[in-house]
Amino acid sequence: MCLAFPGKIISIKGDQAVVDFGGIIKNANVTLAKVQVGDFVIVHAGFAIQKLTDEEAWDAIKFYKQNEG
Amino acid sequence: MRDKRKEKILTEISLLAAKLGREVKLMEVCGSHTQVIWRYGIRGLLPANVKLTTGPGCPVCVTAQEDIDLIVFLARAGIPVASYGDVLRVPGFYGSLEEAKKEGAKVFTIYSVEEAIALKKTLPDLVFFGLGFDTTAPMTAYAIKKGLTVFSTHKLFLPAMEALLEMGEVKIDGFINPGHVSTIIGIAPYKKLKVPQVITGFTEEDVLVGIYMLIKQLAEGRVEVENQYLRSVRPDGNPTARKLIFEVFRIADGLWRGFGKIPGSGLEIKSKFKNQDARHKYKNIFKKFVFKEQRQMKACRCSEIIRGLSRPTTCPLFGRACNPDKPFGPCMVSVEGACNLEYRFQDKS
Amino acid sequence: MKNPTALTINLEDGGGGYKSWLLIRQLRKFLSVKTGWQHQQDDAAVYPLGKNNLVFTTDAFIVDPLFFPGGDIGKIAVCGTINDLAVMGAKPLGLSLSMVIEEGFPRGALFKIMKSIDQMSRVVRVPIVTGDTKVMDKGKLDKIIITTAGIGLAEKIISNDGAQVGDLIITSGDLGEHTVALLSTRFDYKTQIKSDSRPLCQELEAVGKYLKACKDPTRGGLAANIAEIADKSKVKIILEEKNLPFKKETVALSELLGIDIFSFASEGRFIAAIAPQRAGLVIKKLKRFNPQAKIIGRAEKGKGVFLKTGLGGLRSIEMPRGKLIPRIC
Repeated sequence: MCLAFPGKIISIKGDQAVVDFGGIIKNANVTLAKVQVGDFVIVHAGFAIQKLTDEEAWDAIKFYKQNEG
Repeated sequence: MRDKRKEKILTEISLLAAKLGREVKLMEVCGSHTQVIWRYGIRGLLPANVKLTTGPGCPVCVTAQEDIDLIVFLARAGIPVASYGDVLRVPGFYGSLEEAKKEGAKVFTIYSVEEAIALKKTLPDLVFFGLGFDTTAPMTAYAIKKGLTVFSTHKLFLPAMEALLEMGEVKIDGFINPGHVSTIIGIAPYKKLKVPQVITGFTEEDVLVGIYMLIKQLAEGRVEVENQYLRSVRPDGNPTARKLIFEVFRIADGLWRGFGKIPGSGLEIKSKFKNQDARHKYKNIFKKFVFKEQRQMKACRCSEIIRGLSRPTTCPLFGRACNPDKPFGPCMVSVEGACNLEYRFQDKS
Repeated sequence: MKNPTALTINLEDGGGGYKSWLLIRQLRKFLSVKTGWQHQQDDAAVYPLGKNNLVFTTDAFIVDPLFFPGGDIGKIAVCGTINDLAVMGAKPLGLSLSMVIEEGFPRGALFKIMKSIDQMSRVVRVPIVTGDTKVMDKGKLDKIIITTAGIGLAEKIISNDGAQVGDLIITSGDLGEHTVALLSTRFDYKTQIKSDSRPLCQELEAVGKYLKACKDPTRGGLAANIAEIADKSKVKIILEEKNLPFKKETVALSELLGIDIFSFASEGRFIAAIAPQRAGLVIKKLKRFNPQAKIIGRAEKGKGVFLKTGLGGLRSIEMPRGKLIPRIC
C-alpha cells in the first residue's frame, strides 16, 4: 500500500489534475502538494503527495554522481 | 538500468560486504520494497553475508484482528462499508468483508477516498474503513473534513520501527526506510533510531543503491539517516499533509497485529469530528461485539513474520492449508504480504 | 470458522488461474466417453480422419464491458474460437453461434454485436453456419452470454506438449493489451491502447509448420499459458524480462492497479516453442505482422516457469492465483 506511481500533470482544474502515467491517464487530487502543469508528481490512493524533482534526479542519484565513469 | 551501472553497484556491494566480513541483517519495512526485492530476485544477487528480512510494512498485515472483526461486524449489521481493495479478503472471526458481501452486506471497493465521498451521497450511512500509515492518513483526513464517516485504524509507522528495535527479538543492522511514509514525514524523525537507515525509492535500481548505501555506512562505522529517494523525499517531508492529519486526528495507542499495543502509534479521530467517528457513531452496534480470537488463527504465524522473527516457510500452514487462494492470515491475503510474496515467487522446482 | 465457499463455485474458479485449472480437471473426470478423439486437454479436440484431422473447439464469452476500445464481445467471440483452431494448426471451416440474452437488452446493441460478428466472419472468410438464441427474464442474467464453437481441418496438429529442451520460446507480438483495454475502461483510466483482439490465421499459416507447441495467452495471461506448455511438455521454461514486449502503458497500468502483468491477457497473439535453428526465419516472417515478434525465452531441463529479471536475478513466475481479473473474455 505504499503503492504510489509517478506521473506528469497535463492539466489542473481546481482540486483535480489530469495525470499521465506513461500513457495511462487518470485524475488525481492535488490539494496536498503545490504543483503546476508539466510537473512530475507521485500519486498515492488518488492524491498527489509530492512534486518530483527534475528528471535528472530520477537517474538513481547520489551513487552515479559520485561514481560516474 | 544500464548493465554497466548495475554490475558496478553489485561489485561495490560485494567489495564492501567482504570488507565488513560479518553477517549483517537489513530490514525492509515497506511492503512495496518487499515486492521489488522478490520481483527482481534481489536476494539472490547479494553476497552471502548480507541478509534481507521483512518487517511490518504491509498495512493490511498489521491491522489487528479485532479491527477486522469490528468492521465486518458493522457490515453484517447492515451498515454500508467502503474500503481499499486489499483488506477485503482478510479473515476474522466473523469472516472477511468479502464473505460478508457475498452474504448480502453492502461492501464497496474503492481506489480513492473521493469515490467514497461520492458514494456517501446515495448511501448516507456509509462508513469508510480508514487503514494505512502516514502516507494514507492525509487522504482520510481530507475525506473526514468533507463529511465522510470513518472507522479509523490508521497508524504512524515510526513507533513500530522503535518497538522492533526495543523488543530486540531480531538483530537489525540497518533499515531500508519506507519511501512514501518518508515523503510525508521527512528525514528528521528517524534520527532517534540508533541504527543505519537509508530512505529508499521503489525501482529496482533504487533498492540496490539503498542497500549499497547501507552496507557502506556499516563498513565505515557510520550511523546516519541517508536519503536515496531524493526525487520524492524532502528533508521536511510534506508539511501540508501532516498539518491535515493532525487537524483531524490525535495520536493515541495503536493496536497492531503481532505487536499488540504500541503507544503513540495510532491515529484517533478528534472529538471535534466525533459525529464522523464510526467507533462513536455506531457505539450501540459495537456494544454487542465480543472479541474472540479466531481459533484457527492460533496456527497462523503472521504475527511473528511481521516482526521478522520467522520466515513464511517456517509456518506449518504455509503452502498447505494457507495459500493465496485460501489465505488464513493477512500476510497471505495482501499482495505485499511476506507470505503471499514468498509463495508466489519462491522457486518451486 | 468453516469455509462456506468450498461448497459453491467461486469467481476464482473461472479466472483462468490455478483454481480454474483445478475445476476443469475435476469436471473432466465426470466425462467417461472419449472414443476416437485426441488432444482433449488442448485448445481444441482432434479427430483423426486419415491424412487429415478434424479439429473442434468451443468457448463462452462473458466479457465486461461488452464494448471496449478495439472491439466488442462479438469480435472476440469469433476471434477467440478461430484462434483456438488456428493455434492447433487447423484451417477453420465453420462456426456456430449461440446467444443467451437478458430481457430488456437493447436491440441496437445486439445488432451492433451481430455486425461485429459478421465483420470478423468476412475477414477470416469463415461462415457462421448454425446457432441458437434464448432470452432470459430480466435480472436472471447479466446482459448477454455468447458461445461459439468451431470446426476446422488440420494436416499437422500443433499441440501444446511438444516443447523440448533447447527450444526457444517466442511471442508473435506485444502482450497484454486486451486486458489494458478492458481494465482501463472498467476503472476509468484514459489511454490510447486498444484491445489486441484479431485473428491469427495468417501468421499461423506462415509459420505453423515450425511450431512445436503453441497457445494464445488469453485468460490467465502469459503466466498461465507458458505454465501449461512447460507442464505438458515436461520442461522448465526461463523467460528473459528484458525481451518481453510490453508497451509502457501496459506496464504502467499493471503497476497502478497492482495487478501482475503476467496475468494480462492477449486476444490476438500467440506464444510458441520452436527449434533454435528456425528462430531467425520464424521471427522474420512474424515481424511482417507485428514488429514486436521476438524470442522471449528458452526451454531447459527441469520444471516450472522462471523469469530472469532485468537485474539478472532469477525468480519463479507462477500460475496466477488469488485475486484474478474477472470477465476478461
